[in-house]
Amino acid sequence: MANGKMSSITALIALAAVAVALSAPGAALGQSAASPDPTDAGKAVFKRANCFGCHKWHGNGGGGYGGDALSLRKTELTREQITETIACGRPGTGMPFFTRGAYDTVNCYGMNRQDVGGQMPPEANTFLRATDIDVVASYVIEHIKGRGEPNYAECVSFFGDASRVCDIYKTPAEPNANSAAGAGKAQ
Amino acid sequence: MTRFTNHGHLMRASVLATVVAAAGFAGALTARAADEVTHDRLLNADKEPGNWLHHHKNFAATRFSSLKDINRDNVKNLKVAWTMHLGGVEGGGIWTHGGLEGTPIVENGFMYVTDGWGSVYKIDTHGGQGVLAWKMDPKTDHDWAGGVACCGVDNRGVALWGNLVISHTLDGRLIATNKENGQVAWQRQVANPDKGEVITGAPLIVKNMAITGVAGAEYGIRGWLAATDLSTQKEVWRTFTIPGKGEPGHDTWKDDKNSAASGGGSTWVTGSYDPATDTIIWGVGNPGPDWDNQYRPGDNLYTDSSLALDATTGKIKWHYQHTPNDPYDYDSVAENVLVDVPGPGGATLKLALEADRNGFAYAIDRTTGKFVWGLPFVKKVTWTKGLDQESGKPIEYDPNKQVQRYNAAVTPHRENKVADICPGNMGGKNWPPTAYNPDLKLWYIPVIESCNRITVEESVPEKLKAREFWTGGGPSQPFKITGSVTAIDVTTGKVASKLETPFPNLGGILATPDLVFSGQPSGEVMALDAKTLEKRWEFNTGGGVNAPPMSFSVDGKQYIAILVGLGGAWDKWFIDATPELKRIQPGSMLYVFAL
Repeated sequence: MANGKMSSITALIALAAVAVALSAPGAALGQSAASPDPTDAGKAVFKRANCFGCHKWHGNGGGGYGGDALSLRKTELTREQITETIACGRPGTGMPFFTRGAYDTVNCYGMNRQDVGGQMPPEANTFLRATDIDVVASYVIEHIKGRGEPNYAECVSFFGDASRVCDIYKTPAEPNANSAAGAGKAQ
Repeated sequence: MTRFTNHGHLMRASVLATVVAAAGFAGALTARAADEVTHDRLLNADKEPGNWLHHHKNFAATRFSSLKDINRDNVKNLKVAWTMHLGGVEGGGIWTHGGLEGTPIVENGFMYVTDGWGSVYKIDTHGGQGVLAWKMDPKTDHDWAGGVACCGVDNRGVALWGNLVISHTLDGRLIATNKENGQVAWQRQVANPDKGEVITGAPLIVKNMAITGVAGAEYGIRGWLAATDLSTQKEVWRTFTIPGKGEPGHDTWKDDKNSAASGGGSTWVTGSYDPATDTIIWGVGNPGPDWDNQYRPGDNLYTDSSLALDATTGKIKWHYQHTPNDPYDYDSVAENVLVDVPGPGGATLKLALEADRNGFAYAIDRTTGKFVWGLPFVKKVTWTKGLDQESGKPIEYDPNKQVQRYNAAVTPHRENKVADICPGNMGGKNWPPTAYNPDLKLWYIPVIESCNRITVEESVPEKLKAREFWTGGGPSQPFKITGSVTAIDVTTGKVASKLETPFPNLGGILATPDLVFSGQPSGEVMALDAKTLEKRWEFNTGGGVNAPPMSFSVDGKQYIAILVGLGGAWDKWFIDATPELKRIQPGSMLYVFAL
């Protein structure tokens, strides 16, 4: 029984490795050839910290029940400003702070909790370490900031192609993910 | 190891099936006939007091159970009989987790519940315990659906027809599952998430049709109701809630930007049915964009309306609009409760009751669609001074104006971009269902006592994109929000009593002869005296109550059941108004109580 368990775990790891290998070319598809996020670490933080809950997968944000999350595609913030915004949130808005101790032990925009008062931004559900903030800021700079309209390749590189979430971005020129999946099944 | 375990399950299941088939063959036909859900049984659902066959208990949507073994004197002894953990907590799209908003359906001791992603669970409740008979996982496309679900990963439950369990999925499907074995018999795509359409409501079964409502008014949809023939699996009719060119009401969209095409008008709360006139009465949601009513001058029919449709053809018979040219997201998607009460001169008033997001409760003559009475059921209303006693329209409503301002000082618009309104945009009363006690003629409303702040963002056609928010602004929560259970005397149209609660009512109501059951998002399930609303019993589930209680009996014993798992819109968009609720963890649990 113990052996059986081991072998299924080994099989899982092997499967995961295959999945990573398979997803790599897909990830490259939507991005510039020299992808600066080869391990998808930045994208992983973007998902884990629920950035896409308001800014959406494409970073365009937009109005909604939670107010208007700013567009990361159209942002003019520098890397340093993005880093600080993630760490400290945006006072007076719904953008939460992601650094443990922000406005207490960590200086934010030169203010402490007292200074910021009623404008105190909400605390994020997940705190991020400096390295996490670093990789997600890189992800925003390299993969989102300055991009035009979201496209199919970008969407698939974010979600993979198991969901139909990207289908609306398909143009006639796009490879048909569904028929590709069908072909895969037929084999 | 895993493989062998599964194999063992399969073996046992097939052996069991053989035994059941052999032993039950002779009696199978009769047993089956008794368990087939027919239109006749649905019409007479209240004659099966131990069962709960409809989403709202009966076609009239009263959510009144005549079971009274649990009553005001002994309810203090109510205890947990059994519980069951369900699934569907996982996130998808813009959502970090799912929640439970469903009403359990019970037939002959078997319960059918759903989780937020639309998995259906059949639970055998015989013998004082709950045993999972099967689970049907529809494999909902989480990111496709969750990316355009404005207000949570929700599914409000199933319906029964023939030997099938009829359910919806967030990704737009109507699914028929074999009641006995949990196998999907057939499914059909009714809504299209590519257009921002999702489904969260339970189906309404009328004759041989399943009626489906749609959500998505925050994503620029054009709302509809669709009837699917359950025998042929074909669509019988689809009626849009926003009239097309040439149809009556189209001229209430007076802009030159074709705003009607993305005008909203969702239908995501299950409606009711009046068999006497073969009429479906269904609430219609807000116009889109929600908060920029200058984008869509005109009354914007049939948004914010109660809509009556011929059940056979889907043709619109009448409408009653509550908030014309709505600038507040005050939808009227709520259920209409169909009740008959004595009127003046010995006449019988045939009413449709609706408690609106705008803070007013309405009684409409359900044969004509004419206003009978209306009153505020919340403590604070600022957007209007009140309703015109003849028409029921807000006093400030001016039919000659294309853009309504109501109480202009508090109304959000392009020149008054930040405005505080009461009730806030969640209501009033949201989807959590009311209940009606026909003996006491009291109607119980689950209330969100609220104000919130609206910030308007001017809409332009270029911003209208598939699967993107189309709201013309958004709310924020600078004010604490509480709640109440408010009882209305339907014979007088006056508030009879109000029990204030620390948190908004996000679950809804069950009425029994002398009790009212409800819950709080902070975890409590409670029983109140039906007349005074005095609290008689309370139990803390340890999760957030976001679903309505119901009652059933099995083996001659009465039970109260409720799903517990805070999800929905509240803990993403409105939690700042109830900071204490931030500590409530996502969960997915069925509680069943008995004496």
